[in-house]
Amino acid sequence: MPSWAELEQFLVSGLALGGVYALSGVGLVVLYRATGVLYLAFGAVGAMGAFIAFEMIQSGTPGWSAWIVCVLFGGVVTLVYGMIFGPPLAGRDPVVRAVATLGLTLILFGIMDLVWTVTGGRVRSISLPTDNGGFTVLGLQVTWTQVIALGGGVVLTVGTAAFLRYTKLGTAMRAMANDREITATLGVPVRRVEAAAWFGCGILAGIAGLLLADLVQLDSTTLTFLVISSLAAALIARLRSIAVTFVAAIVIGVIHDLLTPFTALTNYRDMTPFVLAAIALLWASRHRTVMTRSGEEA
Amino acid sequence: MRAHMSVIKVLSARRTIVLAAAVAIAAAGCSSSSSSSTSSTGSSSTPASTSSATSSASASTVSTSQCGSKPGQAASGTPINLGSIVTDSPQANFTDIANMAQAYFNCVNANGGINGHPIKYVIQKEQINASQIAALAKQLVQTDHVVGIVGNTSIIECSVDHSYWESLGFYIIDSGIAPECYSTSNSAAVNMGPRYSSDGAVQYALSQHVSKIVFDQSNVPGTAYIAGGPNALATAAHVPIQDVATNVPISDANSVAIQLVDAAGQNGAVVLNFTPPDALVILEAAQKLHIEGHVKLWGCSTPCNTDFLAKSLGPSWNGKLFVNAELTPPDATNTATMNLYKAILSQYGSAVSGGVGSFSQMGFVEAELMVKALESVNGDYTVASVNAAIKGLKDVNTGMLCQSWTYGSYSLHIPNNEDYTVTPSNGQMTMAPNGTCTPISAVDPQIAQYRSQAGTAPADPTST
Repeated sequence: MPSWAELEQFLVSGLALGGVYALSGVGLVVLYRATGVLYLAFGAVGAMGAFIAFEMIQSGTPGWSAWIVCVLFGGVVTLVYGMIFGPPLAGRDPVVRAVATLGLTLILFGIMDLVWTVTGGRVRSISLPTDNGGFTVLGLQVTWTQVIALGGGVVLTVGTAAFLRYTKLGTAMRAMANDREITATLGVPVRRVEAAAWFGCGILAGIAGLLLADLVQLDSTTLTFLVISSLAAALIARLRSIAVTFVAAIVIGVIHDLLTPFTALTNYRDMTPFVLAAIALLWASRHRTVMTRSGEEA
Repeated sequence: MRAHMSVIKVLSARRTIVLAAAVAIAAAGCSSSSSSSTSSTGSSSTPASTSSATSSASASTVSTSQCGSKPGQAASGTPINLGSIVTDSPQANFTDIANMAQAYFNCVNANGGINGHPIKYVIQKEQINASQIAALAKQLVQTDHVVGIVGNTSIIECSVDHSYWESLGFYIIDSGIAPECYSTSNSAAVNMGPRYSSDGAVQYALSQHVSKIVFDQSNVPGTAYIAGGPNALATAAHVPIQDVATNVPISDANSVAIQLVDAAGQNGAVVLNFTPPDALVILEAAQKLHIEGHVKLWGCSTPCNTDFLAKSLGPSWNGKLFVNAELTPPDATNTATMNLYKAILSQYGSAVSGGVGSFSQMGFVEAELMVKALESVNGDYTVASVNAAIKGLKDVNTGMLCQSWTYGSYSLHIPNNEDYTVTPSNGQMTMAPNGTCTPISAVDPQIAQYRSQAGTAPADPTST
């Protein structure tokens, strides 16, 4: 049985991991609430943006411009996808719309595998200037990048919730996610609102990709499928509450890392997001909580 | 209504085509930017460029024509067919090894070939699929009519095909990964593979008088076999060893790094056996958490021996990380063979994406050995004559290994069983203190078994 002193370190690292999950999880919920689409390409778009930024930095481009390109790449790719596939799929089942984004995921993943091969012992990494500073907690260095990831999740959670609740565009997004046809009938310019939602989500994907490439690793497989773990946090929040998604992501990260020093459990700790999501869904079903397409509880 | 649906379908198809075109253009753009950065040898921002610059410098002083018997005269006889099976998948990609062997053969073909015969080299790529690998072996024999197999590097090929090769009388020269690459009669590798390389890394840590070893590797099938060697060495030295298996790809390196450092303790050593990207992510996590100094030293098996990793890590790992090197460190070595290798890589190795490094070194040595075997064949180049020549290779000085290399008639083959140890220094891997050729301890029962059959090979005077 590990001592509390040992566990303390994993508590700190777990908070950082939770911040990583929160970044992706909150982004997923934001787009789902705005467009009704579960955007499974979130990780792949961010990963490819990070790879492009890496190449630019290697070729001598200043870091700040490479980071901007990474973020804009996420926004533009997501916007293009949303504008091309959003309208024709708008009336389809949510599962169909989610699977369509899986297609984009696989295309981007294939391109990354083709262009950024792993042969010859080649390794790639992105380091942000914020890695060089930080402070010590319980003997562990906490970098400013980790603080930004965690703080960014909080800001994103509060900011997006306020945006969706209090702004005209946010209200239009929520209305459109509920029923696109009725929203259009009411005179809302749905194409423009959709474009804003897709572009905003893409920007989030780009920011998350850049931070995760630094915090996790610059690897197409890892970054592309990290979204699956983040999805667990979104599912715990039943794809509705941004605040619950954030809290769930932090809890998943902390529990994941706290299991590390337990020898019997350490190899199973990667199951944490899915076990917690399954428990949450079972609990929800026992309480007769069923989510409808509109996100309202029946 | 039907007409409306048709219009929608046409529009959807058009949009799909537009998206596909956009993706294709994006891919083309990325490809060109990638290749231009790789070929930009003037850039000092990547280890690849550094390696390329080194390679170019050596190439200017060495003529590649010495790789063949008739310099400048292209071979024009009937080709000698050789084959290879390599892993080419997102999880692992070993194509550089066969591509370097191809570069060597191209050099030979341009300079007289083998008694006037060019070598035709067929490289088959597999995706870690047993049935595919078995089919490729049959294709090489039945369709491509190869008379020899060289350059195989695959996660599972040795396990899948070794019985087939034995039944046909093929003697394979390969880069080993699976246990059967070392433990069977018809496979001999130029490298040590994960087990003996991990032995070397643990052995170096023990030589530095650490109080505990924590040996971490991927949580995949077959790692218990690899851990057998390091455990035997540590136990014989009366040093406690703890085996850790980490799930890959690693999504949370911080907890892994903390776990390893806590387990090793202040006077202990953490030894990693991972692919370069996974090893890097653990080492970088330790660095970011400022805990790399909380243990006496870090060790790593051969995959970490890459300038990419040295460059990525930075100076805090100089003299702190010690990496097993199965082949002569290329950066600081100025021998005739090393310069020929760099010259061939520079002139013929455009397909070798990793540049100078252990993968391309392995491909060079394997091709070099095969050429020596072919040159010793009298008469026709058949499966029987070529494989008899391969089996007859004895005490060959490759210029890339600590010892001379022998195939021979043994029940198992570990012809490379002496190693170097290197450490990062200013973005390159350089020889560690006391890191020159050291025999892997016969405490590992498989090393002992091999030496009981083959003895200890003499040192290779051409490698340093």
